[in-house]
Amino acid sequence: MKAFLLNLDRRVIFVFVALGIVIPSLAPVRMPIPITKDVQAIYDTIEDVGAKNGTVLISFDYGPSAKPEVQPMALSVLRHCFRNQIKVIGMSHIPTSVGLAQRAFETAAKEYGAQYGEDYTFLGFKPGGGSLVINMGSDFHGAFQKDLRGSDTAELSVTKNIRGLADFAYVICLASGNTPDGLWIPYGQERYKFKFGLGCTAVMAPDQYPYLQSGQMNGMMGGLAGAAEYETLINASGKATAGMGAQSFVHLIIICFIVLGNVMFFLYGRQKGGAQ
Amino acid sequence: MLFLRRTLPLIIAFVMGVIGILCFYIPHSAAESLELELTKWDRIVAAFALVLGIYSLMRLHWTRVRRQNPGWGYSFLVFVGFAIMTLFAIYNDGQGPLNPQEIDTGPFVWMYNNVQVPADATMFSILAFFIASAAYRTFRARTPEAAILLVSAIIVMIGRVPIGAAIYHALPDLAQWMMDVPNLAAKRGILLGVSLGAVATALRIIFGIERSYLGGGEE
Amino acid sequence: MRYCFLFLALLFGAAPIHAQQPTGVEAIDTPNDSGGSITVTWARAELPDGAVYKLAVGESEHGPFHPINRSEVNLQSTDPGTFGHGDETHHRVFAKITEYADLADPSNRLPIENGKTYYVRVNAQLPSGETLPFAIASATASENFFNWSKGNNFVIGTVFSLIILGGIILAQKRDLFIRRIAGLEALDEALGRATEMGKPVLFAHGLHPMGSVSTIAAINVLSRVANRTAEFNTELRVANNDPIVMAVSREVVKESYLNAGRPDAYSEDMVFMVATEQFSYAAALDGMMVRDRPATNILMGYFYAESLLLAETGASIGAIQIAGTDSYTQLPFFITTCDYTLMGEELYAASAYLSREPKLLGSLKGQDIGKAVLLIAMILGTLLATVFDFDTLTHVFSAD
Repeated sequence: MKAFLLNLDRRVIFVFVALGIVIPSLAPVRMPIPITKDVQAIYDTIEDVGAKNGTVLISFDYGPSAKPEVQPMALSVLRHCFRNQIKVIGMSHIPTSVGLAQRAFETAAKEYGAQYGEDYTFLGFKPGGGSLVINMGSDFHGAFQKDLRGSDTAELSVTKNIRGLADFAYVICLASGNTPDGLWIPYGQERYKFKFGLGCTAVMAPDQYPYLQSGQMNGMMGGLAGAAEYETLINASGKATAGMGAQSFVHLIIICFIVLGNVMFFLYGRQKGGAQ
Repeated sequence: MLFLRRTLPLIIAFVMGVIGILCFYIPHSAAESLELELTKWDRIVAAFALVLGIYSLMRLHWTRVRRQNPGWGYSFLVFVGFAIMTLFAIYNDGQGPLNPQEIDTGPFVWMYNNVQVPADATMFSILAFFIASAAYRTFRARTPEAAILLVSAIIVMIGRVPIGAAIYHALPDLAQWMMDVPNLAAKRGILLGVSLGAVATALRIIFGIERSYLGGGEE
Repeated sequence: MRYCFLFLALLFGAAPIHAQQPTGVEAIDTPNDSGGSITVTWARAELPDGAVYKLAVGESEHGPFHPINRSEVNLQSTDPGTFGHGDETHHRVFAKITEYADLADPSNRLPIENGKTYYVRVNAQLPSGETLPFAIASATASENFFNWSKGNNFVIGTVFSLIILGGIILAQKRDLFIRRIAGLEALDEALGRATEMGKPVLFAHGLHPMGSVSTIAAINVLSRVANRTAEFNTELRVANNDPIVMAVSREVVKESYLNAGRPDAYSEDMVFMVATEQFSYAAALDGMMVRDRPATNILMGYFYAESLLLAETGASIGAIQIAGTDSYTQLPFFITTCDYTLMGEELYAASAYLSREPKLLGSLKGQDIGKAVLLIAMILGTLLATVFDFDTLTHVFSAD
């Protein structure tokens, strides 16, 4: 038993993690979700933008791999915007996010009766990264002459008054890569001084705190927990809230294994130079 | 030949580097237009590079199929996937390649939703298993510093999920404080060093001191 | 400095701009921009609820005046770089005007043109509809040649650049000490192990494109690795997820083989494109590791969540692993699963460390001096702001 625990096969750990995900997913456990200030800040800004009749730009910069974490954020933010009659323009720096963004727009627009062209549009993917952001900052219609459906952005009701990034009341980046700190902050927010919020995967979140403190970013939703907080704020429980049970249990399982590993290390491992 | 391989790229790096820096400080429309033009060039070059990438990918897998290396069947699947997605994109749900890409329905969208999305999400989800396994094997309180790291990690892990608040109401606040203060301080320290390193590297490239990215190291 | 007293502290609320009869109205060319706008400023004052300011633009002092909609007045709530940090800025309101309505067709917007003088009329309207007397100010829009709000950035950037260049000059005159970097010291040993085992070396780039400093640093390490594998006659495989990085890597490896006198050992297939997608890249590399069982894995560049997938798979096949990244969230994963890890700046220093070229070492020294200057400024700034409530030094380093 001692030898088994000291050299625990990783597949045993995998089984426990799998059970920790499957069981709470099949038998959901609802727990109150505390709201953090960074998520609240995004919610408050969108409320404020709604009161001022502004336009929001959402950059869908996540691939299918991050769908479980970031797609619930996209849906919640879009629902919040459409509920407050805020105009939304979507775009993407990543080609594989186009389908996900499109689905999020369709779902939220149908729920709130938002009209394509009047209340929202999706510009699709364009390569260029930082160059594209600079281009959008000084000549929005030049950077995106047409949206994904082929409509002219200089004529479309939702985009015709946008000349540059400074005309957006809020820019939100939903990301699973380097676009917030690699593109939007240095090439966008720093130059054109718009309000900037972020939704990102949990693994990215710790990287973003300096930008929150410096004010270059005014709010952040990090991972599934951030998405669940936003769902709670707009009173629309979705997949993120449902996933909180599984996430809680998996965190507990990992902690239990870490504790077990340390107990074994202190009891037996040190004599043998530590468990491998 | 040396001029084309070495001197010209160094001149281009110098000129573009200096233009990039100056454009950051000059708001005049002439600088703005120049920057806009350069960003367009950059995007065009990036688009051509994609062709190069596809060529390399195809060549690599074709070699494997031809030589029947171990696992060549996977390489064959690359061609199958590439051909199917290209054909579906051209078919464009019956609209043809000259119309805007159909984004709501059609086999291309179906493949994206039902193959790529779940496959990518599965790969990402494997991370949870790997993190658990790596944490068990390596997360040991061998030294006082490692013990502090261990306790902090446990507090953040438990404080960031709802069960943390259920266990002890102050845990989420404690986790948030750890992210806002010690995490931020460490990150800022690294960021300052990294930024200075980036400035130094940029200067070395602009002034042609760093040349190994052109191949062959120093002359 | 004439703009320092201007700052928008106010938020104009929804559509209306709450205020009273404007006093101290002044119009200026908007500073630090490419023209096409003028800025009008006036004293901030208390007024009854519902009172609004109305702005109108004319080409003559006597009119006609063209109205400006709320949406056309770009109110920048925070622009201290342009309008200063002082308390006096809280007593002013400013509105940036870029276009105005055509009287013949109000839906048509006329832009503010450079070189033309515009007269801006500011008056307040009470909730009853009564309009208070107005004030007029004029300004001519023009293009600016330097963005003074970035002046601090320019000075600091120049000073740091000079320090680094100074370090480079210094290095040519005397030997400089560079501390031992274990990950780079181990590079030859790791490559030698692959040679002894007759197995390949896998070099995997991170996910950042060629413009990223970490990618350039990774390319520099690759140059050295390729040189060694050419000398040792070891098989090298370089995996890429960006076509431009692949093209550059191919060139670098080719040159290294040429310089090592082994052009015959070079093959284009050594440097290949795997996938542009993050997890397709990780999955393909994991598959290669499991099938080909490389003796040495070198992971260099900026990694995201795929870092652990790669390093854990590498550890499971028993490969010796050297990682280098400036992505600090991924550092713990690399440290726990790799034999050696280059952290942040160590990756940037790799080129200098490996080549021992005085000019490159000099830039590292300059970097250290720059860091010392920053540390002193930080300690001093914290002391001044905390103990003496004096935050000028904080503003010197502010990005705004």
